Amino acid sequence: MSDDALWYEAALLVGLTNALNVVADAPLAVLEPAQPAPAAEVVFAEIRACYERADVPSPFRRVAADPGYLADLWGATRRAFTDHHLGRQLKEALAFAVSVTTRSQFGTAFHLGEMRRLGVGEGGVMEVLGVTQMFSSYTKIADTLQLEPDMSAIAPVDWSPAPGGTPPPPKPLAPEAP
Amino acid sequence: MPTVRLRDASEYPGPVQKLFEAAKAWFNHDFAQPPAMSRVMAWDTELGAFHGRAMKRAMTPGEFTRAEKEMVAAVVSGVNACAY
Repeated sequence: MSDDALWYEAALLVGLTNALNVVADAPLAVLEPAQPAPAAEVVFAEIRACYERADVPSPFRRVAADPGYLADLWGATRRAFTDHHLGRQLKEALAFAVSVTTRSQFGTAFHLGEMRRLGVGEGGVMEVLGVTQMFSSYTKIADTLQLEPDMSAIAPVDWSPAPGGTPPPPKPLAPEAP
Repeated sequence: MPTVRLRDASEYPGPVQKLFEAAKAWFNHDFAQPPAMSRVMAWDTELGAFHGRAMKRAMTPGEFTRAEKEMVAAVVSGVNACAY
């Protein structure tokens, strides 16, 4: 997993997961009930089809009064969770780990459901929970002692260009000593 | 800056050196010093042994590969805002 593309993709997924979770878990009951605009139904149909479920997950329903915003949010979400460099199962596992770590009730239940729907067994769920738990331990130990990163040498630098871009120019050589 | 003095590997007793060798093998990397986390966990060898075994069990390939699990670990570390 030294290819940066995998990590860019994972980071974008983490962001979208958190974006959905914060809206779903926020105490937004104090707001007026979300009233989907009629144009939102087209997007809702896509969402139902993608997740193979009859209902529309709450973070999408919550923002459906603005169908343009809903469509863009859904477009970004769909893109983040589509098979690309990383597969859909792993992406749901990452989203589940993020949701457990951030104590998101919505995200934990939703991505657990998606993992199972996509064929991850109870053993696989336990694996993700175990890794999440162990690294929730290591991170707090490291933070408590303010440990500094010391393992960056393990990961090689990926010099490949940005998508559609050109490779970076070669670095100028240091002048030779006289 | 760490809030404690991280001990050099040489300051740890003999049996712990085996744990440090195991850490090298686990990461497949020849560190000049064992990672700081290894040295911290070695402070309490009983706790470190339990924790280390649990971590290895969690990271062993199963339905997900070791690489995939490393990515889960990185993501968890990221959302915990842990720079280490």
